[in-house]
Amino acid sequence: MLESFKESLVSALGNKTAFTIPVLGGIPVADSVVVTWIIMALLAALSLLLTRKLSVRSPGKVQTALEWAVQLLNDFVRSNLGAHWRPFAPWLGTVALYIGLSNLIGILGLTPPTKDISVTAALAIMSMLLIYGAQFRYNGLLGGLKKFAEPMPLLLPINLMEVAIRPLALCMRLFGNILGAFIIMEMLKFLVPVILPAVFSIYFDLFDGLIQTVVFVFLTTLFTGEGIQEET
Amino acid sequence: MTLGIIAAGIAVFTGIGAGIGIGFATGKASEAIARQPEASGKINSALLLGCALAEGTAIFGFITALLILFMG
Repeated sequence: MLESFKESLVSALGNKTAFTIPVLGGIPVADSVVVTWIIMALLAALSLLLTRKLSVRSPGKVQTALEWAVQLLNDFVRSNLGAHWRPFAPWLGTVALYIGLSNLIGILGLTPPTKDISVTAALAIMSMLLIYGAQFRYNGLLGGLKKFAEPMPLLLPINLMEVAIRPLALCMRLFGNILGAFIIMEMLKFLVPVILPAVFSIYFDLFDGLIQTVVFVFLTTLFTGEGIQEET
Repeated sequence: MTLGIIAAGIAVFTGIGAGIGIGFATGKASEAIARQPEASGKINSALLLGCALAEGTAIFGFITALLILFMG
């Protein structure tokens, strides 16, 4: 019995291929890509539906809620990034929506895309490009290089190591949390098939997913802010 | 394979460090909020950052254990 469980766990851990595009000898399309398409369609439909009939004079309930959310995001980004916050807010909000929704979609029985290490690695690499791109964009080439020697030149090797460590940690943190939650849920379902998984699902699927979303966006914002904020 | 299971168990011991670290951080954060409730926003963000970084070690240990179990 234990052997069969282990086999099912191993097969659930692997990234399944949804279908293969029959060109150039077949391009495999992973499950996570298909679920990402579903999330994209959902987000696009929601943003089209919710932003209809916007008005300045008599905002409805939906509009008020949306404005509150955007204001929350803007305030958060502004307080962490300083003067150059404007171009970063839309990107961070988009990443937050995508990660949050893909962590939560496990509830519907779909595979969360963040369980695929390629997805989290891609997100982490984009974060890295954002962090160091912003550092060079707002400080110039020399100023950006000088940032690596701050707060003192002795820390130069550590700052250079961080270029690789930050995205690795971001990627592994998101992936490990989602995968760990997934494995624990599979084990629980195997041991106690009724009631108990539903209780634990509230923590592992809802709470943990949202916390990891906040952590990912928060860390990206903080690292970016470190690179571009002027000394006051 | 039995040796691999023991190795995976040892790798998961990194969780102890993360647990102690997050426990300390949360305790100090509650003390700080009790002393200065108006600074709770800044304390919360610092706590979240510290917890995320402390948790990173536990996650690395967990991933190592998984690699040993399923790949080794």
